[in-house]
Amino acid sequence: MERLYLACVVVAGAALVAITLMIPLGVFMRYAMNSALSWPEPASVVMMVLFSFVGGAAVFRAHGHIAVQALLDSVSPFKRRVMLVAVDALTALIALFMLVYGIQLCLVTRFQTIAEFPSLSVAVTYAPIPLAGLLIVLFLIERVWVGAPPPTSIMYSDRAVGLE
Amino acid sequence: MDALVLLGSFALLCALGVPVAFALGLAAICGALWADIPLEAVMLKISDGTDDFALLAIPFFVLAGAIMAEGGMATRLIDLARIFVGFVRGGLALVNVLAMTLLGCISGSSVADTSAIGSVMIPQMVKRGYPRVFSTNVTICGSIQTLLIPPSHNMVIYSLAAGGSVSLSHLLIGGIIPGLIFGLCLVGLVLWISHKRNFPKEERVPLSAVPKIVIDAVWGLVTIVIIMGGILSGVFTATESAAVACVYAFLVTVFIYGDYKWRELPHLIHRVVKTVAMVMMLIGFSVAFGYMMAIMQIPAKVTQFFLSVTNDKYVFLMMANILLLALGTFMDLAPMLLICTPIFLPVIAQLGIDPVHFGIVMILNLGIGLITPPVGPTLFVGCAIGKVTMEQVSRELWPFYGAMCFALLLVTYIPALTLWLPNLILR
Repeated sequence: MERLYLACVVVAGAALVAITLMIPLGVFMRYAMNSALSWPEPASVVMMVLFSFVGGAAVFRAHGHIAVQALLDSVSPFKRRVMLVAVDALTALIALFMLVYGIQLCLVTRFQTIAEFPSLSVAVTYAPIPLAGLLIVLFLIERVWVGAPPPTSIMYSDRAVGLE
Repeated sequence: MDALVLLGSFALLCALGVPVAFALGLAAICGALWADIPLEAVMLKISDGTDDFALLAIPFFVLAGAIMAEGGMATRLIDLARIFVGFVRGGLALVNVLAMTLLGCISGSSVADTSAIGSVMIPQMVKRGYPRVFSTNVTICGSIQTLLIPPSHNMVIYSLAAGGSVSLSHLLIGGIIPGLIFGLCLVGLVLWISHKRNFPKEERVPLSAVPKIVIDAVWGLVTIVIIMGGILSGVFTATESAAVACVYAFLVTVFIYGDYKWRELPHLIHRVVKTVAMVMMLIGFSVAFGYMMAIMQIPAKVTQFFLSVTNDKYVFLMMANILLLALGTFMDLAPMLLICTPIFLPVIAQLGIDPVHFGIVMILNLGIGLITPPVGPTLFVGCAIGKVTMEQVSRELWPFYGAMCFALLLVTYIPALTLWLPNLILR
């Protein structure tokens, strides 16, 4: 699972870096070379969906999604355990929704193509949604099966030197 | 009943501890099942929520700010602030506030700025005899300015949550004076406390050192010129200017400052992915939630409710302030902006309140919520860096809350403070 998490971060990070380079390239070509490129914008949007959902799945494993903990922190340990089981079950539900209905969305749109990339199906844009659903299910199984990742996990390797 | 199903299920899921993004998605599904809307429509809205080109400004603003703040900019801005206010009584506390104002011109994240400035300033202040709790309070309160001073990714979120009907350029420019007023209120409070407690003055920075400090800091401050200059001149869109600023920030920190190490870059990208992917997923699910709210006519019903209570915009603004301050104590800024903006926009349209003015009021309200328990991300980070407990900090935060609420009242009831500058520049 560590490798899967790392793969998610690498894919999302690579997408972010690619977008960061593509947009200024578009600006440079438009003003400096007087030759506007049509592909950076749609390509960035495809990358952004990939970044958002694959990165979002990684954030789930790293406990990075915003949640209201006030009630969880104020109840007895037993009630807290019951609540956490309910949270996991509900997370599984939304992840399965993303997986099943995301696949349906990809199937429905698979014959449509992106205007700027005639050989590329619109389904490619939406594919990260079911992929993220699957990844969240896998990370959830890990959490339930073996517990939270240890403090030595690669998830915590991003702390800024000298800041924290 | 529709509203109860949608908003009630959302509140219940949040209270249970379900991540807010997933709670929005699950509540939208509940609402769709209740209203007989096909679930495919909910999925379509989730995908729509994340494939908007304008959204790209969010990761770029965060990335540019992170590169600059961690690439040596924070220490250079602290040095610059020391020239202007270091020699006054309570100088280091004032340097802290002014450095936050300057860093606000580069970064829009109060949590990141608390880390960047706090990790340098809190130890220095403690060493010079300032109480640890006071130093932490100055840092976390000062960081709220960065939410208002452009570039602020929260303004992009507000603009998107408003369905693109509110101009991002107006919002960015509109935040400048409220941000400065907020900073001035904190400066006033810090001066008063410093004289009362007889905090030390610092030595004046030697004149010979000033040119180098200014030049070093100016390299970083050019980022805001690229972003705002690009947008205002029409050369770039907001997204493009933010992307160009990222590349510029990287070149400055690596090749001019020489502080950034290549091996640190993967960690920085990792941090940005964790921060931004969370917000982007939240936006995706919030679009589905907003769609269900629109179908169930919740914004219209809320408008009707508020108009039945009052027709006076100032009374409404007071009610909105109290409500947002209360909600902000329980939830983070981005989700509250995404949920509340579509609900409040029809009300403010009916009452004749400018959406740019209301956006700034909303961000300031929810920004104060970032440093209030029980849910205060900036407060948590500040406590960790200051090595103090949340209880210690909360006990001494009251004068700061007073100063911040005074700034909030000024910004709320004098719309010209927000609207004068954008109307002047963007006529």
